[in-house]
Amino acid sequence: MATKLGNWLNERSGWRAAYTAVFLRKIPKINWAYTLGSATLFAMIIQIVTGILLTLYYVPDPQLAYASVSYITNELPFGWLIRGLHHWGASAMVLLVVLHMVRVIMYGAYKYPREFTWITGVALLLLTFSFGFTGYLLPWDQRAYWATVVGTQIGEVTPVVGDTLRAVMLGGEEISGLTLSRFYGAHVWVLPSVLLLLVGIHIYLVIRNGITSVPKRGE
Amino acid sequence: MAEESSRPNGSDEPSAAEAKPKAGDDPDNGVSRRKLLITGVGVMSGAIAATVGVPAIFYVAGPAQEAGGEQDWIRIGSASSIETGTQTLMKATVERRAGYLTTTEELSVFVSTENGADFVALSNICTHLGCRVRWVDEQDGFFCPCHNAIFGPDGAVLQGPPPRPLDRFDTKVEDGQIFVRKI
Repeated sequence: MATKLGNWLNERSGWRAAYTAVFLRKIPKINWAYTLGSATLFAMIIQIVTGILLTLYYVPDPQLAYASVSYITNELPFGWLIRGLHHWGASAMVLLVVLHMVRVIMYGAYKYPREFTWITGVALLLLTFSFGFTGYLLPWDQRAYWATVVGTQIGEVTPVVGDTLRAVMLGGEEISGLTLSRFYGAHVWVLPSVLLLLVGIHIYLVIRNGITSVPKRGE
Repeated sequence: MAEESSRPNGSDEPSAAEAKPKAGDDPDNGVSRRKLLITGVGVMSGAIAATVGVPAIFYVAGPAQEAGGEQDWIRIGSASSIETGTQTLMKATVERRAGYLTTTEELSVFVSTENGADFVALSNICTHLGCRVRWVDEQDGFFCPCHNAIFGPDGAVLQGPPPRPLDRFDTKVEDGQIFVRKI
């Protein structure tokens, strides 16, 4: 039955060819370090799912943000789990993305013909940091507030455009409701849009170019 | 079709007897290493999806379950302040919680008693369009200024467009205090 349905769908979509290209492609003999990219992808999916669930209750309003986070954590069934996964998943993302990059550097996997994969990867690294930075403010507690003060002051020391950069990030001179709503907008709309586009390109390139083998002595 | 025949479906692979046994393939067993791994990955993915998915159902349904036992007794005032045979307007502030938001609402109730022991509590909201009614002694009834409706002392419609009598509340007296509850 399942095979029949699969055949019916395959005749109309050719999904088996896509499945083969993605999951059954030929790869060289490799080691566990090569799973770091997939692990990052997996952590990203967890972040997307739990993040969407959090938006069902979270409100980016200076009067209510903290109360809504507290409601999620302390009162909703499994709210602690959903928020906890998102919280720790964020750290896991940064960790995995850095380890993934270290593997690529160590094995020289950024070389021809994979330079463009590397470039999209660097963009994805910065994107991951941006997610972490914007998401950190959203619980709207003391730690969130002061982390954003420090973070935006780091941006302020940028030569020439520093002051403007900080004002644009904060939506004014000080952290306010405007900061909260624009960090929220960035965190749930702007960054995810760019992320999905870049991840799509990144994975397409990995599949198209194949993955590198572990370098041998003298390579 | 040539491309398809290379897919890892057990039945499509050459029979174990013809194929040269490769590392990891057990020629005596129908389950190939590949099939085992694919199944394993599938089972683990399903388990992970359930770990997030099942709690998510409770998480999404959370506030709907809270809404249940909401009709609590509300204290509206002292029983001794009500004179027999008169209508006394009593007010209470009701707190309503919806998740992290608490809103307050004014509840106004006409309370009367014939014998000082049994109390009748009527809402002061007209059942026609929600205007506030007031007690008018000359008419011995509640008067709604919006469409000149009149309700009797028991809440029954005497005149005008209201479709049903004034809403009644359950009442009880504890330690000299009157409590009302929505029916």
